[in-house]
Amino acid sequence: MSSKQADSAPAVRRRSAAGWALLGSELGVLFRRWRTWAMLAALAAVPVLIGLAVRLTSEDIEPGDGPPFLDRVTQNGLFIALTGTVVSIPLFLPLTVSVAAGDTIAGEANLGTLRYLLAAPAGRIRLLAVKYAAAVAFCIAAALTLVAAGMLVGVVLFPVGPVTLLSGDTIGVGESVLRLLLVAAYVSLSLAGLAAIGLFISTLTEVPVGAMAATAVLAVVAQILGALPQLDWLHPWLFTEHWVGFADLIRQPISWDSFGANALLQGGYIAVFCALAGSRFATKDVLA
Amino acid sequence: MARSSKPGSSKRWLPAAVVPAVIAGGVVVGTVQAGAATDLPDKSPQEVLALAAGTDVRQLSGTVEQTSQLGLPQLPETEETDSGPSAAAMLDLLAGSHSARVYLDGHDKARLQVLDRLAERDVVRNGRDVWFYSSRQNEAVHALLPERTAKEAKESVQDKSGDDAGYTPESLASRFLEAAEPSTRVTVGEDVRVAGRDAYRLLLDPDSADTLVDSVAIAVDAETGLPLSVDVQARGQQEPAFELAYTKLSLGAPDPGVFDFTPPAGASVTEHTVPDQAAQRAERNARDDGADAQHPDGKATKTGDGWDTVVELSATSLPEGWADSPAMAQALRKVDGGRLLSTALVNVLLTDDGRVFAGSVTPERLQAAAEGR
Repeated sequence: MSSKQADSAPAVRRRSAAGWALLGSELGVLFRRWRTWAMLAALAAVPVLIGLAVRLTSEDIEPGDGPPFLDRVTQNGLFIALTGTVVSIPLFLPLTVSVAAGDTIAGEANLGTLRYLLAAPAGRIRLLAVKYAAAVAFCIAAALTLVAAGMLVGVVLFPVGPVTLLSGDTIGVGESVLRLLLVAAYVSLSLAGLAAIGLFISTLTEVPVGAMAATAVLAVVAQILGALPQLDWLHPWLFTEHWVGFADLIRQPISWDSFGANALLQGGYIAVFCALAGSRFATKDVLA
Repeated sequence: MARSSKPGSSKRWLPAAVVPAVIAGGVVVGTVQAGAATDLPDKSPQEVLALAAGTDVRQLSGTVEQTSQLGLPQLPETEETDSGPSAAAMLDLLAGSHSARVYLDGHDKARLQVLDRLAERDVVRNGRDVWFYSSRQNEAVHALLPERTAKEAKESVQDKSGDDAGYTPESLASRFLEAAEPSTRVTVGEDVRVAGRDAYRLLLDPDSADTLVDSVAIAVDAETGLPLSVDVQARGQQEPAFELAYTKLSLGAPDPGVFDFTPPAGASVTEHTVPDQAAQRAERNARDDGADAQHPDGKATKTGDGWDTVVELSATSLPEGWADSPAMAQALRKVDGGRLLSTALVNVLLTDDGRVFAGSVTPERLQAAAEGR
């Protein structure tokens, strides 16, 4: 809590209740928004487009052509979910998350509603936590939408059967769905770090578009830096370093190394940027 | 909130300063612990060598990291055109960094998984069956080893150059140990920890002015004698030119299912026959030279000995047109009498009359060897 003096027990209870109520209303606002659904629809369109394009062309795709796993799609529709994820990771997913995270504080400040939110008995830090939780909820929704849309399109347009893993081993449909959900979890985790950065940037400004753009630009810049071999000393510290590491979940046996490394890295980014956002927001003059 | 209306209080920024400090502290402590010297009973170089030579670990599963800083231009990953363990694939394994999982069970069951970005290359050996699978091409190659080779491999404990030749720390280290002739000073350095195990650090210093190798360090597991890491320092280079180490290792039989491989439906499968002679020749080559085992086949003649060995390959033993690919053209540099491929550890000279000289020696020595004929 931001408060210095000790709170009495009922006050704490009241505040925490207010926090949960705030989270509920925040999630309600997020998922009633036209913009949220537009972004999720755009994400879902990626696997749909891939599926239609592959279905409507008669040419065979040579292995190694196009994005990874594309050649497998005609044999097994479930691969659309993977192709869609690989294609969306560099830009689409970070872009939508930047919009959701960059809007958190700056959007309220811009609309002039931040004052009223702070009038609620929840406290600034709790408000920030609620805002971040909503941004993470969006990350999860985005990753799940992508994977679920991919699986659905795959089931509708293509035969579905046992899935060949990267190691050449084959697993059944049930386990494949589980693995794809794991991929969605991995992607959500990867985006949670970016959401924390977006939250911090959002506390710096009252122009939501600026915060969104800055967050998206950071995501792209980090990936460009990650592609330069001359900077390999920096790579382990980039939050984009393990973004494509979800491939380790489709090996046999599953390699959890990159999941662990990614969790550690994203955890670090979340801790640092949420602390920065907390400090900034606690000292910020809220004028609007 | 009314209470937070006093801005500028520096305590507000405390968490923002403390969290990165805690993380940095954690990183530093972690690194220090990882590098913490362990204290093993002292052993002479001979004892450590014997420990390594006597290792009977044939069951393990582990993760291996390999990095090379050979000063070669990075090969783009799309360059791999051939399937199978071709020269290009071998070259790729020598450039950049890779991570791989290794499973071993007995002398005739092994699996190597090279973990690429969004792809994987697998080599599975189960008895006489050897499978190679590349997920990027969705291609499988099957080879049936001749009966004799399989039996020989079972009989000779010394022979560790199976299909995983040159890739487990084990096979690499034994090759280096063989090269430790009188021309090498062998010492035992400070004890180290590799993959969470205490290990002796065996240092090999070449006693030659002409070789590019500055030193070779091999970590030998104190308990089992299994080589856990190999790193090669090149002259005039800070970073190790070549590093291969287990990052994770567990001794004990891996899940037997790991060695069962059936090519996935939809993959193209090629049958590859292994002639008996080829296996023997490859074996002989592997025994002949320690420095340059990269060429899959072909006759090689060598001049010089120890670290200064220069190997001459006839042009026919190399894949046709291998020097003409754009990547190679970029890497080759014109010198007197031919073109030179220069790396931190190995120099290769392509003479104008089509001969190839390679060795872990200075270009001048290669040129001398070329003229000496």
